[in-house]
Amino acid sequence: MFGTVNNYLSGVLRSAEDYDGDNLGTFLSLRDVHVQNHNLYIAQPEKLVERMLKSPLDEVVIAHLKVLYYLAQEPPNYMEAYTQQAASCSAVVKLLQQLKDENWCLPLMYRVCLDLRYLAQACEKHCRGFTPGNILEKAADCMMACFRVCAADGRASEEETKRLGMMNLVNQLFKIYFRINKLHLCKPLIRAIENCTFKDSFPLPEQITYKYFVGRRAMFDSNYREAVEYLSYAFTHCPDRFSSNKRLILIYLVPVKMLLGYLPRKSLLERYDLLLFHDLALALKAGNVNQFDEIVRLHELVLIRSGIYLLVEKLKFIVYRNLFKKVFIIRQSHQLDMGDFLSALQFVGVTDVSIDETHCIVANLIYEGKVKGYISHAHNKLVISKQNPFPPLILA
Amino acid sequence: MEIHAIVRGSCERYCPDAEAKMQVKNSILKKLLNYFEYKNGQKHVPGVLVKEFTRSAADAKVPKAKDMRTELCLNKTVEYLLKDILLDVRKPFHWVYDFIFDRLRMVRREIVIQQFQARQTIKLLEPTIMFLAYSRYRLCTEPIERFDPKICNQHLQECLNMTLCCYKELDDDCSDHKASTLQDVERRCFIESLYQLFNLGTPEALVRGLTLPAKVRENAIFSMTFDICMNYHRGNLYRVLVGLPQLPHILCAVAAYKLQMIRRQLLDIFTHAYNNKQLTVPTAYLLRLTLVEEPQVLTEMCGHYNIAVTADRKAVHFNKTVVNSTVETIKTQREPFIEAKLQRIYLPEVLLLKKLWL
Repeated sequence: MFGTVNNYLSGVLRSAEDYDGDNLGTFLSLRDVHVQNHNLYIAQPEKLVERMLKSPLDEVVIAHLKVLYYLAQEPPNYMEAYTQQAASCSAVVKLLQQLKDENWCLPLMYRVCLDLRYLAQACEKHCRGFTPGNILEKAADCMMACFRVCAADGRASEEETKRLGMMNLVNQLFKIYFRINKLHLCKPLIRAIENCTFKDSFPLPEQITYKYFVGRRAMFDSNYREAVEYLSYAFTHCPDRFSSNKRLILIYLVPVKMLLGYLPRKSLLERYDLLLFHDLALALKAGNVNQFDEIVRLHELVLIRSGIYLLVEKLKFIVYRNLFKKVFIIRQSHQLDMGDFLSALQFVGVTDVSIDETHCIVANLIYEGKVKGYISHAHNKLVISKQNPFPPLILA
Repeated sequence: MEIHAIVRGSCERYCPDAEAKMQVKNSILKKLLNYFEYKNGQKHVPGVLVKEFTRSAADAKVPKAKDMRTELCLNKTVEYLLKDILLDVRKPFHWVYDFIFDRLRMVRREIVIQQFQARQTIKLLEPTIMFLAYSRYRLCTEPIERFDPKICNQHLQECLNMTLCCYKELDDDCSDHKASTLQDVERRCFIESLYQLFNLGTPEALVRGLTLPAKVRENAIFSMTFDICMNYHRGNLYRVLVGLPQLPHILCAVAAYKLQMIRRQLLDIFTHAYNNKQLTVPTAYLLRLTLVEEPQVLTEMCGHYNIAVTADRKAVHFNKTVVNSTVETIKTQREPFIEAKLQRIYLPEVLLLKKLWL
């Protein structure tokens, strides 16, 4: 079923002559069936390829065939394959620079960059002898070279500009930066996209991915409102058939919204198998500090792995707020004894708490604007505002 | 990736012969040796020389084996510096610091040139971290001409990052059958704790702390430290301040760099919470919470942030409209409770992590 090298090469040539970027991308993809063609496993394909193809496309193809060769070895030589893929990527940069005012080869760039990332990940997994994340970071550098060419293409018309390829690359780079925990590198990329005049005309799937990552980054910067905005966009626009992606978005969206005072609907959580948040929400609503801690402890691993443990921990002071609000509802007074708060804490199972700590917790709530009032240390009382002593979190 | 032949040091002295000769020659001409390198403080009689830090430069030749020290010798050098020189009281400590800092920096450079394995690197870097952490505290009140905390912090962070990477490498390396000894793990937990406190409140440190292997997370010192860090993250400063004095010596000293900032945050919270024209808050309560022992110190602190203290100094008057929120945070101070802890230990043993005196 597979043809000879020459068949393959003439296929490449035809796609290039037809300006068919998608097809060309397939010819250089590591996920296409042609990778199983033993005829293509050539250690030194230079002569063969140079006869058929012009520079710099020949370099892209030569490097690609070498990648196939190294991956076909037993065991696969990921390191060499990666090096060749990086060479292929640099050749794509040359190709992009050569093709002024045309952008048909963007799909090729997407494909080569995507495979570069996959290979870098494989190296990180299988190879030794470098600091973790190093290969991925190098891969990111290669992609940045592509990105620069795309971002600098300002003169071409809106249909033909290579700037249309920016968002795809930015998303790939986000994936790397999140993986190697270098979120600060995202900032210039976001700025480049936000300054783009046609930022809303990128394809919807790319926009969803982009907003998902920007939302997560905002979350790490404690920009919760911004995070909700981006993540909500991603969630509502992501089609229902991608339910695992929707679930992924919700994992971040739900706790951030909880922090801003919105509790999730049970039916929604049920649909995406995220009932853990329902339990958390119940404990939060009840002000049950101990139960809240218990749930966090129980799901510690899941929360850590999905990167929201620290965020969930921030909900703790909201739990305190809700508990103390109950004290107010019971006492129906604007002068509340600090001892009552201490008893409330002890009632929900916080055994190792002192009156000093109670003071500090209440003080913190006042400072954050979650309680309106002041503490009188001499009388050991919290004097709360007659109007709106516990302002709704949604407005805070 | 090119692979150069790795040069292994063969020199068994603190300072390779060629360099020692040159230094001595230079010292006669113009550039004097370091005070600690003269014999018994005598003039002109060279004593024990230790290889000085030099930058890598484009024109410098690749060092030869005899110009570099062996692993054993590097370890001995570190021991010599952190015992004999550290305890030398003939000169003020900032002299001692400058000398050791420079010589340890050269040790670090040799680790890089000789491309030591993770285990070897850890052994040499751990004492460097301890030394920098201790000195950062001990010299915190010195003027900038004598001690630059920024540079010290930078180097401390660099050493920590390098060491942490080595730990991770050992964690990931399943082929490494030489299991860590209990003592290795204990040392690591101490250094991991130090990293957490040094980077208190940063998400990177917290994420690392959460994903460490169980043997570290379950360690008593580490879990105590990490608890403090998590409480800081949650915003529960009370638990942070209660927890700090429970930490051992050097960790307390590292926490001291953050203490003034935490105190300020607490006072800031209190100016909002106890904000009232008539009411006051007793000094005793604040002393207890802020870990300040002398009322005088608290009064000065309040004065600095423009928080009024009553005439009899028994109470503090919080008023959020007058508090000075733009003034710089007070510089790190030496704290009596930390001094007391440091007095009880034999410093060289702790800095070399031979015995942690827990």
